[in-house]
Amino acid sequence: MTDENIIPGAGFEEKFAEADGFSIRYMEAGSGPVIVSLHGANGLRLSRTHDMLAESHRVIVVEVPGFGNSQENTRAEDMKDLAVSILAFIEALSLETLNMMGMSFGGKLALTCAILKPEIMESIILIAPAAIRPDRTSENIPTHAQRAAALFAHPERQPSPNKLSAEIIAKQEDLVGRTMGPGRSEAFEAKLAELQVPVLALFGTEDILIPPEIGKYYREILPNCFLMIVYDAAHAIDADRPEAVTELIQDFVVRRGDFIVREVDDTIHP
Amino acid sequence: MGPTSGGGWPVPADDFSPELAQASYEITLNHAEIADQLGWNWVSVAEHHYAPFSISPNPMVMAAAFSQRVKTAKIALMGPDIPILNPVRVAEEFAMLDTLTGGRIVAGLMRGTPNEYITYNINPNESRDRFEESLKLIKMVWTEKQPFGWQGRYFQFRTISIWPRPVQDPHPPLFMSGSSMESGKFAADNKVGIGFAVTTLEAASKAAAYYREEAGKTGWEPTKDNVIFRMPFYLADTDDQAVEDLKVAGAAKFKGIGTLNPDMMRVLRQTKYFSGNENRHREVQQAATELNDRVKLGQLLIGSPETVIKQIEKIRDDLGPGILDLTNAGEMGDKTIKSMELMATKVLPHIKDR
Repeated sequence: MTDENIIPGAGFEEKFAEADGFSIRYMEAGSGPVIVSLHGANGLRLSRTHDMLAESHRVIVVEVPGFGNSQENTRAEDMKDLAVSILAFIEALSLETLNMMGMSFGGKLALTCAILKPEIMESIILIAPAAIRPDRTSENIPTHAQRAAALFAHPERQPSPNKLSAEIIAKQEDLVGRTMGPGRSEAFEAKLAELQVPVLALFGTEDILIPPEIGKYYREILPNCFLMIVYDAAHAIDADRPEAVTELIQDFVVRRGDFIVREVDDTIHP
Repeated sequence: MGPTSGGGWPVPADDFSPELAQASYEITLNHAEIADQLGWNWVSVAEHHYAPFSISPNPMVMAAAFSQRVKTAKIALMGPDIPILNPVRVAEEFAMLDTLTGGRIVAGLMRGTPNEYITYNINPNESRDRFEESLKLIKMVWTEKQPFGWQGRYFQFRTISIWPRPVQDPHPPLFMSGSSMESGKFAADNKVGIGFAVTTLEAASKAAAYYREEAGKTGWEPTKDNVIFRMPFYLADTDDQAVEDLKVAGAAKFKGIGTLNPDMMRVLRQTKYFSGNENRHREVQQAATELNDRVKLGQLLIGSPETVIKQIEKIRDDLGPGILDLTNAGEMGDKTIKSMELMATKVLPHIKDR
């Protein structure tokens, strides 16, 4: 599974679930504690992090209604509407507790799900989350092309991306523009301040969309947040440094805040 | 024959004299204090291991001692050798020094000479990658005020939040070696100053031009104070006296820095510590040891104040460094102190701000 020549996500199975009036597409692999993964604004993307996590976890990668080949989502007016759909999907799969992982746009969606239903969340993993964007208003979100160009610190190590059609891009951009919300929101951040769920927030040193300097806001606002800077990773941290990210997530999902205490035996020779 | 059996480095300590080491430290501290009182702008320390040359395996400790004697000048650390050290510890020690000096610390972060990798059992092939990661981590340790973890290739920390913080905002000025193209580009991309030592004026000038060109591509224009040239100097009242003194002291020829164990270098030369042709070229240039050649190559300032001003003007015109990091060529007691005085009183006023 961790062989670099294997296309990321090759071991995942495509499935669909009916929830909140949508037929929601998702990719699933592995067994064990559940990790539900929410994609960024450019749509569903599987990485070697997903592959490696699936060796010890049940990994469910959801396509947010309105993305990819799903029908256009004209109903969702804000992030909360999307979260309601995701929570209905979780209920449809009878998942009682889970770890939720959100990338960029999906990071804000994961936090919104947690605000609505904190009791089901064991932990939250944010990868270059776009929930707080101090330098941006809702009007100047980077375009699909700008985001795609900023995904990887090492694009040469990535498989060539599936090109989306102009119609799909237009449909997704419309949905993102409607639901992303402002860069800062007092009301949203007040709710984050009450969220007791342990949060692991990852930022890449080479990310120009969500630079690592943004991390401090999460640490300041969320009461139980652990900030990790991932070296030599751009926006798609999970794709640029899959081994590094997987190790952190595996440790955090099991030990949560205790993960700051090293458990690995470093004895060189007995 | 193994890599450490060919003589040179590491130097066995059979002949180590604690009295001599203490005397050497006392001379060093006195020189720093005198330089400060004479109006020199900075004093510098370096990191070298396992040899009697520059007995300063931890420049932080030496800089801390300087901080109690040097009241006005900056204290520049040329070293630590960050690929072989714990970056968080390095950042903490710099912050302590910056606090002890009220913000007079200059942070030269070095890769160290190739033999230093043997010192702490670090693979020299990892030198450049470890350097780049460590430098970025150190910067973040200084500037990030919320506790954060670091998931690197070579360094891992689950939570970092240092006290004290540096006095200088956002952090002490950074320098690194700019001799190779890789280093020049990395320094330019990351807005880090560059320094040149144990090289030639011609090689340094070419490398500095490349650095400025690469910086320009990122929209950044380094100032002259982003470039350091390090070299030894000796001044006397006349040119003849200066040459005579240096010859008597046995310091006219370049003797290397006690690190060229041939068997060890044979192994190290095959590693990725060395980036390419320019380094081999550098070794050849360093082999020129005669006094006149050293002056021509820009490896030594020597003579009367008038002569040395001309030598410095040549360096200024070719390389344009804002900072000359000068070391005493040889230790000649009162003559060395006089040389420092001549530099401060007769030369520095003519070259400052020019």
